Amino acid sequence: MAEKQGKKRNKWTRRAFIATGGLLGTGLVVGVGGYAYVSRAVKKYTGSGMGDGSSLNAWIRIAPDNTITMAIPRAEMGQGIYTSLPQMIAEELEVEMTKIKVIHPQPEAPYSNTYLMTQESSNAFKGLKLMEKIYSVMPVIATGGSTSVADGWYNMRYAGATAREMLIKAAADQWGVSPSDCYAENGQVINRNNMERLNYGDLAEAASTIRLKDLPELKKRSDFKVIGKSVQRLDIPPKVDGSAEFGLDVRPEGMLYAAVKHPGTIGGKITKVTNEDEVLAVKGVKKVLITEFGAAAVVAENTWAADTGTKYMEVEEDILHGDLSTEGIMAEMRKILDQEPIATPENKGDVDAALAQEGGTLVEGTYEVPYLAHATMEPMNCTVLVKDGKCEGWVGHQATSITQNLLSEVTGIPKKDTKVNITYLGGGFGRRAEPDFVKIAAAVAREMEGTPVQTVFTREEDMRNDMYRPSAICRFKAKVNPDGDIEAWDNKLVLQSVSNSAMSRIMPAMAVAPAKDQATTEGVIHLPYEMKNMRVAFGDISLPIQTGFWRSVGNSQNTFFSESFMDECAQAAGQDPYLFRKSKMKGFPRYEAVLDKVAEMSGWSTPRPEGKFRGIAIAKSFGSIVAEVAEIAKIGEKEFSIDNYYCAIDCGNYVNPDTVIAQVEGGMIFGLTAALYGEITWKDGAVVQSNFPNYEMVRMAVSPKVEVHIMEVDEAPGGVGEPGTPPAAPAIANALFAATGERVRSLPLTKAGYKFV
Amino acid sequence: MIKILQMNLKINGKDYNVDVEPGMPLLWVLRDVLDMTGTKYGCGVSSCGACTVHIDGIATRTCTLPVANAEGKEITTIEGIGLAGEYSAVQLAWIEHQVPQCGYCQSGMIMAAESLLDEIPDPTDEDINNAITNICRCGTYNRVREAIKTAAQKRKDPGTLLGAL
Repeated sequence: MAEKQGKKRNKWTRRAFIATGGLLGTGLVVGVGGYAYVSRAVKKYTGSGMGDGSSLNAWIRIAPDNTITMAIPRAEMGQGIYTSLPQMIAEELEVEMTKIKVIHPQPEAPYSNTYLMTQESSNAFKGLKLMEKIYSVMPVIATGGSTSVADGWYNMRYAGATAREMLIKAAADQWGVSPSDCYAENGQVINRNNMERLNYGDLAEAASTIRLKDLPELKKRSDFKVIGKSVQRLDIPPKVDGSAEFGLDVRPEGMLYAAVKHPGTIGGKITKVTNEDEVLAVKGVKKVLITEFGAAAVVAENTWAADTGTKYMEVEEDILHGDLSTEGIMAEMRKILDQEPIATPENKGDVDAALAQEGGTLVEGTYEVPYLAHATMEPMNCTVLVKDGKCEGWVGHQATSITQNLLSEVTGIPKKDTKVNITYLGGGFGRRAEPDFVKIAAAVAREMEGTPVQTVFTREEDMRNDMYRPSAICRFKAKVNPDGDIEAWDNKLVLQSVSNSAMSRIMPAMAVAPAKDQATTEGVIHLPYEMKNMRVAFGDISLPIQTGFWRSVGNSQNTFFSESFMDECAQAAGQDPYLFRKSKMKGFPRYEAVLDKVAEMSGWSTPRPEGKFRGIAIAKSFGSIVAEVAEIAKIGEKEFSIDNYYCAIDCGNYVNPDTVIAQVEGGMIFGLTAALYGEITWKDGAVVQSNFPNYEMVRMAVSPKVEVHIMEVDEAPGGVGEPGTPPAAPAIANALFAATGERVRSLPLTKAGYKFV
Repeated sequence: MIKILQMNLKINGKDYNVDVEPGMPLLWVLRDVLDMTGTKYGCGVSSCGACTVHIDGIATRTCTLPVANAEGKEITTIEGIGLAGEYSAVQLAWIEHQVPQCGYCQSGMIMAAESLLDEIPDPTDEDINNAITNICRCGTYNRVREAIKTAAQKRKDPGTLLGAL
């Protein structure tokens, strides 16, 4: 046990989240009902915000009017989790999806995402393992790493199954029959003997005090009625009529608005506002302040006035890194690439000897990618009220427990008096796991005690003060035998450690050293290809730039590197890129099946239409394998239309296939945007780009037609939010090679002179 | 307190008087003064389209539109789409195709789509490409395209509207 946890340490720290502050116990009541096997920590919940009725466990409350409220402790940021987790509960609870109301609970023990830390689905109803208990008690309540379904795979189904059995027992008691004479269906318990029926709403109160002796059996996959079905998402109706409430939409009584002005250079600090009177003279402006985090803020009657105030603002500031530039960073990274690596996480055989041998073809390539911003559609914001010794926050954040800790730390109000309301997130992608905007908002609200304040980053402030996907440089050398075998594969890369940077902000105690950061090599390591000699090593560059978790993290650039270079090897071997990959997948049947499927979908083996070209790529990330084929058409010199993307995913068991399809579609577009346009550059210590006109996105006209196929695989569920992203860039780069014979080794593609229409 | 009512706005068929700077973009009047938060802030430079409303029936980005320019005109926001508690053909198509992911850009997408269909009842792919220039970071473009085509059918045949309801 200890050894196993020890081995996984790097894995779980990579996406681990904050857990400082006091332990459980204050302000919480032990939930009524529950199950005998459930560990004590998991039974501690308040049911706060779940409305009328009786709780059957931490996730389910049923009201006398048959309203079924489910506490879903994961952030809904478009991945459909407010539907997928209820589906898992509803499957066993025997209720219709349309009858379910979802709320986001306060950060309490049962809602921990232990999978995020252990990479294993916990089972609270059978009993938590030691580390799972610790993460529950902390608690670690966060949405990220494409983990929500995997984390809930047992707990959500047992929550539904135990609640159902409690309701059946309550009905049986009322009728004076055995529970085995009864069954549950569509929100009712039915007596088999006389077909008498009782609504769940009439049984919930009695059921809530029942303690089951045995854990019910979960349904078999073949008996699923809700899991694995394309249920309509519960969050979509409010998202088509404008009523869905995002962080920017909350309007507590008497709320004011604050716009933030960050320091003009990275790591700087605003020390003084020199024209406060002028800023205060802007109509609607109420207050000008400087937070302890180096950023200034203008509080006003509306966002426009606050923003106008920051634009008038003149400041004095400390500048620490005013000479930072992209040219300087790249030169330094190239230098580090020739130095000793800090770690060599994969080293099989004797790569140097194999490369030095006579014969075969030597293939070499050095790749580069730039920094990237998250650019969520909803800019960063957080609304906070500090009043009467209490604190309340409204925010779209990926981690409820972190948000509560931050609000408490900055305002000095104890956690038990700090309430967190998690709204819909207008995009997350890793950006909304960060503490910065919550901290600044809390500091502003603390200075405005008694008044709720919505603190907003304008798009420009958001883009220029992000926690960026790091720039990276990656060199390959390979030896390909005449028969096409990869005799040697030597790979070395240099980039800033994301986990080190992000965890230092989010959960300092768990920040890994750069040499131990698995995110640095995910996507270039553990490749599904037979290679006789293989080495992956990396160097680290230390910079003041904050790097963060960006949809698919290390895979976002590393799959571009490894899958582009695989194409180079196929070219060197004189083989078809699909068949070349396939020939090396003997020990990887799940990969091979996905690759075969995408080849079939795209008609890879049929003659391509005149003027059309295809590129293929495959990667496993977050427990799921995705292969993509990009199909492009030549319009003119270096000008292409991106006609189709074919995607196949093996994510093991899935919950809502239409959501899986949507996530792969969207993840692919996210990767395509980065491939085509994404580039954040640095000049004089600041980010050059500031808004969509100079940080372009794929839009309708460029967007390809996307087809997604889900493999039927009865294995543990993998993630779906991120795995669609990594293969997008190499698939199109490989298609461009097929079309032009030019190997583009640097992103974005538009910078290499390509145009997409 | 007596306020000088400076601006008369007609939004979703109702009249509003607001005391704001004439240069304040309509977006912020809607969101922060009138608390109609369905219209979204995305970029502030008329690039992303999240703030799209209809001004006299034309899809217009409001984050750079001074409120004074909208005075005396018919303003329709996402809150004004659909009839008394019923979804419009576009909204129904959006649900049918499960278009939104995070949903933040979708008010603007829907307003742009409604306007496109008002102008061109049977849009081609090229018409859609030209009219829908909004940004969706979640990448819902495929479904937006399909939903617009479905909505075009629904608009022509009110029977499909009722059927879907």
